[in-house]
Amino acid sequence: MANRIQKSVPMMMILPGLALAIAIIGYPIFDLGWTSMHDVSRFGKLTGFNGGENFAEVFVDPLFWESLWRTGIWTVAVVGGTLAISMPVAMILNDDFHGRGVARVIIMLPWAISLTMTAVVWRWALNGRAGLLNATLMNAGIIDQPIEWLATASTAFVVEILVGILVSIPFTTTILLGGLSSMPQDAYEAAVVDGASGWHQFRYITLPLMKPFINIAIVLNVIYVFNSLPIIWVMTEGGPANGTDILVTYLYKLAFRFGQLGKAAAISLVMFFVLLAFTMLYVALVSRNDRDDAAPEEEVKE
Amino acid sequence: MSSVTIRGVKKKYGAMAVLHGIDLEIRDREFVVLVGPSGCGKSTLLRMIAGLESISSGDILIGDRVVNDVPAKARDIAMVFQNYALYPHMSVYENMSFSLRLKRMAKEMIDRKVREAAEILNLSTYLERSPRQLSGGQRQRVAMGRALVRDAQVFLFDEPLSNLDAKLRVVMRTEIKALHQRLQTTSVYVTHDQIEAMTMADRIVVMNAGKIEQIGTPLELYDTPANLFVADFIGSPSMNFLRGTLEPGAVVLADGSRVPVETTGRGAAGQKVVFGIRPEHLSLSSDGTGLAAEVEVVEPTGANIQVYARVAGMPLCAVFTERHDFRPGQTIHLAWPGRNAHLFDAASGQRL
Amino acid sequence: MTTKLTRSLIYWALLSPLMVVILFPFGVMFVTAVRPREELFVYPPTWGFSEFRWENFSEMWVKTNFGGALLNSLYVSVAATVVALVLSIPAAYAMSRYRFAGKGAYRTFLLMTQMMSPIVLVLGLFRLMMSLGLVNDLNSLVLTYAAFNMAFTIWMLQSYFNSIPRDLEEAAWMDGASHLTSLVRIFLPLAVPAMVVTAIFTFINSWNEFVLALTMMRSSEDFTLPVQIYAQVAGRYQVEWHHVMAATVLATVPVAIMFSWLQRYLIRGMALGAVK
Ligand SMILES: Nc1ncnc2c1ncn2[C@@H]1O[C@H](COP(=O)(O)OP(=O)(O)OP(=O)(O)O)[C@@H](O)[C@H]1O
Ligand SMILES: [Mg+2]
Repeated sequence: MANRIQKSVPMMMILPGLALAIAIIGYPIFDLGWTSMHDVSRFGKLTGFNGGENFAEVFVDPLFWESLWRTGIWTVAVVGGTLAISMPVAMILNDDFHGRGVARVIIMLPWAISLTMTAVVWRWALNGRAGLLNATLMNAGIIDQPIEWLATASTAFVVEILVGILVSIPFTTTILLGGLSSMPQDAYEAAVVDGASGWHQFRYITLPLMKPFINIAIVLNVIYVFNSLPIIWVMTEGGPANGTDILVTYLYKLAFRFGQLGKAAAISLVMFFVLLAFTMLYVALVSRNDRDDAAPEEEVKE
Repeated sequence: MSSVTIRGVKKKYGAMAVLHGIDLEIRDREFVVLVGPSGCGKSTLLRMIAGLESISSGDILIGDRVVNDVPAKARDIAMVFQNYALYPHMSVYENMSFSLRLKRMAKEMIDRKVREAAEILNLSTYLERSPRQLSGGQRQRVAMGRALVRDAQVFLFDEPLSNLDAKLRVVMRTEIKALHQRLQTTSVYVTHDQIEAMTMADRIVVMNAGKIEQIGTPLELYDTPANLFVADFIGSPSMNFLRGTLEPGAVVLADGSRVPVETTGRGAAGQKVVFGIRPEHLSLSSDGTGLAAEVEVVEPTGANIQVYARVAGMPLCAVFTERHDFRPGQTIHLAWPGRNAHLFDAASGQRL
Repeated sequence: MTTKLTRSLIYWALLSPLMVVILFPFGVMFVTAVRPREELFVYPPTWGFSEFRWENFSEMWVKTNFGGALLNSLYVSVAATVVALVLSIPAAYAMSRYRFAGKGAYRTFLLMTQMMSPIVLVLGLFRLMMSLGLVNDLNSLVLTYAAFNMAFTIWMLQSYFNSIPRDLEEAAWMDGASHLTSLVRIFLPLAVPAMVVTAIFTFINSWNEFVLALTMMRSSEDFTLPVQIYAQVAGRYQVEWHHVMAATVLATVPVAIMFSWLQRYLIRGMALGAVK
């Protein structure tokens, strides 16, 4: 009897949070699934079941395919660029040098600031007439005419990718730093004794040991970047002429600009399944890394 | 102070049985040491006495009271943890007085008890420090002090000395022993160090794989181990074992050599047996008779010489307190007092 | 062997381009926020300006209803942090101290919720809040922020709780403390640092959230800071950039300072936590 109560204690501790998560995160998924199979009025009223019509509509929409393609480029470019920069940065920050504390704080700074604010500032900095980027480049003699950075889709998209990389560096560097700081020092000492050069140490010790951290950094970044709305939304709103739309911006427009709720729900669902795939990958990676980190336990594993 | 009775106690984690029925009577004021190899269930048993682990079946009594369903806080037992478990956010004084404050004891009373305990443990000058600022040995003492102020029925110790260096371990061992002699609190002490067990215990409980192998005073275990496991576990270096076949008056080894031993009433001729003799009971036979052994390695420790040799292909160790000049390859002849020879059944491992 | 000094010089040289790019927007923000309105659009564009116009800040405060948005942001962030923590602490404690049926599944579920971004669910969430009558109600943000942050807070707290030795609580029980007493007098005091750090990160996340706030808050008096600032920029012919930048300065600098102070805990947490 007392045992039964004992056993329900952890459940009671978990339940309230679980209930909130199910209500706020679980329920909308089902609602999206339901909505995606109905005709929906502008005001969100379901007006009739239409089977897979919304999906069919999505799949013949050239804008969807363009956005999807661009989402791919956006994700690969931002994640790839971020990793390429973060790895050396993390290695530097992990080493001991004068002013490392300050350097860490500066590198981490973009993380503290909302993407929205960052994007607003960059939108102004990139202003074609008076933007201070133009001012800087003109002062330095690199250009002699101001450039309208955000006026053409192709340059705008490149700029957005660069900003995307910039704001992803702190988080990625943090994960990699976590990995580097847990690296066994004696492995390096052994390697030095064995005559390994700096490059060899990196290639044969750092990289293999860092692999789980790099993997997790990749997966998490892919998920975050894939989902990231504010940068593109604030800087160009997917324009000009849908030229910088990725799935999330297109989805948001469909839902809250054009009132095509059924179609938006269908895209949400497609995105949900893409995310789910990535999440599975992440879960697999994480659970491979920490089989069971819990403290000594009362009862044995089932 | 109180006795502790353990009756048919079993512990299962899911389907895995960890303790297979333990019966043990710990008398009032007794100092009992649970000893055994790692993973044999010592801590589990101790934690069941403490009330930190549920009892799968059987009964545990403190005094005459069955405490199976009594929570830890109501058992009036004090425990010293392996890692001391000092509350890091409290000073030494606060650590030691925590239990008394929970009991809402009067301030002056608490103060007196804490200072008394601190006096005994040489902690008086450290009372305001935080555990972080103490050495390992001092932390150990605070953990003891926390138990001391309680006037608990029973003290439990789970390998309290295993985090100390070898020298300090010996010192603390003596201190704990002295403390028990002074306070006479019933104590159960877990260790896997048989020397600790031998030096401290009134009685030793040797455990193996979730079962009790033997209960007895240190000398009982040393002189008459109940089986091969206990014989092997108690004593350092371990007892020598020579396998052979029983014949009247001797054990015959594989190469035909005969080891003389008293066999009346100890098994039947032709039985497979193990002959046991402790290294320190072997001596050189002056007349060239006795068991022939070929010397392999000689290790002088200063106080004595340990000789590792081979008899009929089986390893054998001998310890001599007098100095000898042995060379590897040399054959020596060994003798021993007959009363120190042990005989075990090879199949069951039980003493014959 | 290179000395520490030369190594430092090399490292700073290597890091400097990145630092310039990181600090550039801060420079833009400050320089624009304090310059006179007439000097926003000059040709050729320039960093220089004639005088510090500190009045920009007070003007901005009034014109953009900064105070209102600030209060909204504060309310939402504080309330979401409190809700998230109140729900996460027991859950993290259970995850760290008990073994129970469904623990693995729960852990996986948490990971999944951590991956689900608001944007994918935004339409479903909007419909949910509409049916609950919570659109235009800041509490809709409180609930959603709490829910979306919980995976992180539980994970962070759990990895810290794991590092608090279990035998401390056991020692307290032996000393005669009830489960509740040992929780209150032993466990929670030791967990305070973790709770503070977790709370601050939840606060910052909520403070910075954009998509949900943009979606759920339809009338301008309910806007949180990011939405309010965005609203000064989006779909306007005339953008008062000096006001916008003054607002971003006020909205970001306190958070940035708080974060700088805390980031080492985050690195430590990551090293301890799931990435381990
Ligand atoms: N929570 C648990 N779940 C499952 N098995 C456990 C648990 N706690 C202990 N065991 C198992 O029970 C057995 C006995 O453990 P116990 O800690 O009592 O050993 P011990 O004799 O104290 O060993 P040591 O000397 O290493 O401390 C071990 O095999 C251990 O793996
Ligand atoms: Mg143990």
